[in-house]
Amino acid sequence: MDNLTIIICICAVVSMLPATYVFPDKSSRLLMGYVLLGVLTCMVAAGVNEYVLRLCDGDMLYLTTCIAPVIEEIMKALPILYFALVFSDDRKTLLSISYAMGLGFAMLENMMILTDSLSGVTILWAFVRGFGAARMHSACTALVGRGIAYVRNRRKLFYCGTLSLLITAIIIHALFNTLIQSEYRELAFVMVMLMYMPHIIRGIRRLSGRKNVPAGDGNQTA
Amino acid sequence: MNTLMTVNLAILVCATLGVLFGTRYLLTRKNLYASMIVLGVACLALGRLYQCARLWTGGLLTERFQPGILGVMGAFSFFFSSNYGQVDSLVDDGGEEMKRYRRLGLIGPVYVAALTIPILLSPSHAGFKVACTLSALMIGCACYFHVKHIFIPDVDRGIVYCLRGYNALALVLSVLIMWELVAMTYGWDTVMIIAGAGECVASFLIVPVMDRGVKKWTT
Repeated sequence: MDNLTIIICICAVVSMLPATYVFPDKSSRLLMGYVLLGVLTCMVAAGVNEYVLRLCDGDMLYLTTCIAPVIEEIMKALPILYFALVFSDDRKTLLSISYAMGLGFAMLENMMILTDSLSGVTILWAFVRGFGAARMHSACTALVGRGIAYVRNRRKLFYCGTLSLLITAIIIHALFNTLIQSEYRELAFVMVMLMYMPHIIRGIRRLSGRKNVPAGDGNQTA
Repeated sequence: MNTLMTVNLAILVCATLGVLFGTRYLLTRKNLYASMIVLGVACLALGRLYQCARLWTGGLLTERFQPGILGVMGAFSFFFSSNYGQVDSLVDDGGEEMKRYRRLGLIGPVYVAALTIPILLSPSHAGFKVACTLSALMIGCACYFHVKHIFIPDVDRGIVYCLRGYNALALVLSVLIMWELVAMTYGWDTVMIIAGAGECVASFLIVPVMDRGVKKWTT
């Protein structure tokens, strides 16, 4: 991991840290805390990925499409699992913090990629990374968080349920990374759009004033 | 299009059709058992989708570890959870009279373990072997309950009796997947095509058969 990554991480963490106690309500502080945790997790994951890259003989494509999704999804899920086991298994809270965690993770990851390829980035690149990768990270972590809230109190389902959720998130992440690095990158965006489609439909229904909105969030179906 | 791509694509289509058939269980959330089976088949489809995308973009499936194989693990994790968490305690109270059915259930894991040995002895990459073994472990756990629930008598409630068709089909699917993994390891195209064709049928029928059993059980 180069110095620049650590510097960016410090910049992000130091600027966000005050918000974790300045915000008046507990839920906002919690959300900010998890965005921060996402940033820190990304830095740790980058270190682990770098180590694994050496084991993969420097094959970056293989690392990003096969190994990094496993490492990153496990690392993102651990703080969510900890929160669910120790503090609360409230569905809304878990969904919010897992989304925030994914957001923080994607934020630092985007900045790291930006600094790695400064000459090749454009405004379009920023939109592509912001829309595609950040949404995907958030959706994958939210899927795990939402699922953990569901299986937390079902003892016999908890272990296998968590494993299955993690596997689902890993495959979605790996699929996105595979498509985004291929010549069919448009399909990766279609995939992200499809993941958010239930939310969009629900939003449109709310706006149009329909009352028969289906319960639950769309990530589960994504 | 090579054999691997054709097989994966066919299973993807069939499993997706199966998931579409069971979508109402996911939307209504009334029956957790059925929802888990549908999610399991969805996990299988997702894994196949990844494998198709990997092959399509020029990657290989057997060179090293690849996450697509985790789809099988996730699917059987759901199947295992549904039988272990939802149904098993209703038919097996842990008493002596059920001991022979518990022993009979071990046929499944033993068969899966026997098919894992050739994979472990093959000259494939260690990462691929580890992924296959982990998948086989989960398939073996699920198979224990599939075999047990096919034979166990359920005179009080009749739940497992209604689900016998589903359990038989899930058992067939697990055996075929194990054969597919062996065929993938050694590059046996004919075995892969036969196993793949069987998997297509099983992954397409598993949700409708489960649906029929659940309907019988709930009415």
